[in-house]
Amino acid sequence: MAPALRIAAVCKTYERSDHVALEPTSFEVAAEEFVSLVGPSGCGKSTLLAMIAGLLAPDSGSIEALGQPVTGPGDGRAIVFQDAALFPWLTLRHNVEYGLRAQGMRRAERRERVENALRMVHLDHVGEKHPYELSGGMRQRAAIARALVLEPKILLMDEPFSALDAQTRTLLQDELQRIWLDTRPAVVFVTHNLMEAAFLSDTTYLFSSSPGRIVRRYDVAVERPRDESDPALVEIRQDMLDRLRSEVDDAARRHIDAAGVSAL
Amino acid sequence: MSTVRHIAVQVVRKGWFMALLILAWWFITAVGWVDPYKLPSPGDVLSTLGTLFADRALLSDLGATLLRLVEGWVIGVAAGVFLGLLTGGVGLLEDGVRPVIAGLQSVPTIAFLPLAILWFGFNGTAVLVITAFGTFKPMALATYAAMHQVPPTLRMAGRAMGARGLFFQRTLVFPAIVPSLVTGLKMSWSFAWRALMAAEIVVTGAQGLGSVLELGREIGAIDVVMAVILVILVVGILFEQLFFARLERWVNRRWGLEGAR
Repeated sequence: MAPALRIAAVCKTYERSDHVALEPTSFEVAAEEFVSLVGPSGCGKSTLLAMIAGLLAPDSGSIEALGQPVTGPGDGRAIVFQDAALFPWLTLRHNVEYGLRAQGMRRAERRERVENALRMVHLDHVGEKHPYELSGGMRQRAAIARALVLEPKILLMDEPFSALDAQTRTLLQDELQRIWLDTRPAVVFVTHNLMEAAFLSDTTYLFSSSPGRIVRRYDVAVERPRDESDPALVEIRQDMLDRLRSEVDDAARRHIDAAGVSAL
Repeated sequence: MSTVRHIAVQVVRKGWFMALLILAWWFITAVGWVDPYKLPSPGDVLSTLGTLFADRALLSDLGATLLRLVEGWVIGVAAGVFLGLLTGGVGLLEDGVRPVIAGLQSVPTIAFLPLAILWFGFNGTAVLVITAFGTFKPMALATYAAMHQVPPTLRMAGRAMGARGLFFQRTLVFPAIVPSLVTGLKMSWSFAWRALMAAEIVVTGAQGLGSVLELGREIGAIDVVMAVILVILVVGILFEQLFFARLERWVNRRWGLEGAR
């Protein structure tokens, strides 16, 4: 099967600061594969996701989604942001419906799709409520429903759970696992939480910062549904942590060396 | 019972200074420290107000003023929102038009009254035009500013879901700026009210509260002048409390901007 996403030597530099957000980076995401990009802040993982979403253009390199070059948002891709980014003036139902309206789908058809999406995230009982009436976890579930209703082949998630408390986060991770097993889109999931990445993914790319780049790929061959206490997951998490630590040490050493040279 | 108590406390807290002022006013006039032709007593002003309303002359002046205010404001708001949306949405207009409106806004509206009189005559039309113009400038600037304050994540979310062009503007940008527009409505209302009063005082040919004020000055009827000021004050407070405060509360609740979440 052709890959859902092909990212080839994609690179991004922020003009204003000359800061290399992302060194040339390449990887592929297979159809129905769950991929996580994990790393410290400033490692370019969210920048990369925005480029995959078509909200930001790479400086060089190419991104193909479902065999087509990415030139803008849409075309089988949907995205969930860290702050749910729901429209506060719309009810949940209308929030979830928005993407379908934007695509010009007829009302009768929309209704059924919206109901299904709300049911999938267990929010069908609060469809008439406005976002401000809901908890952070419910808002984030609504944001997921808003993406799912588009029946994306590729689901992009930018730290969707990082603003939530630990309990809600664990619940939503389980829920996301279940939803993904039901619907099987290809997923690119950005997080700075190592366990979250290992728990959810088939493949995890560990990023390091300054400049942003992939330092290692992990294949997580653990049967689903998974449990966070699974020794294999714990081991992967530990390895990622060790590797990040040594990266930080290296960076610190380079920094000190550079300072030493300039002092001479 | 506790709500009655609550209201009583609020009345005392917010009303004590006003009561003190009126008492001082009454006292000064009662002991005869000032010439009643310079400052009539509160009772005289009230009874003049009663007479003015009784013979219905003031009522039709009030009606003329309110009609002009609403007309001018609605026209100004419509034009301001329209141009604000265009200016905020189209790059070339933004660069060229915005500085012009900002420049005009730095000129007090009333400075344009002589021009309006030369163009439209010494009549109600000139007053209406000035009112609409006084509304238009702050409304256009408020609309324009609001469009730049739409949270980027909302814009990104909309684009990512495939919203484009006019659909994007109509279903995302416009609703997103509604709370700021309400603030703009309120502000432009007070600008309209000021411009209208100033213009009416000058253009005495047009019926309205302003011309009654000016007439009162001409014939030296200070009780009439003060009675009309009282009417203007009450009209302002009523609109603020009955219309704008409610509108603002409703929008803030609906848009989830209210207090604790």
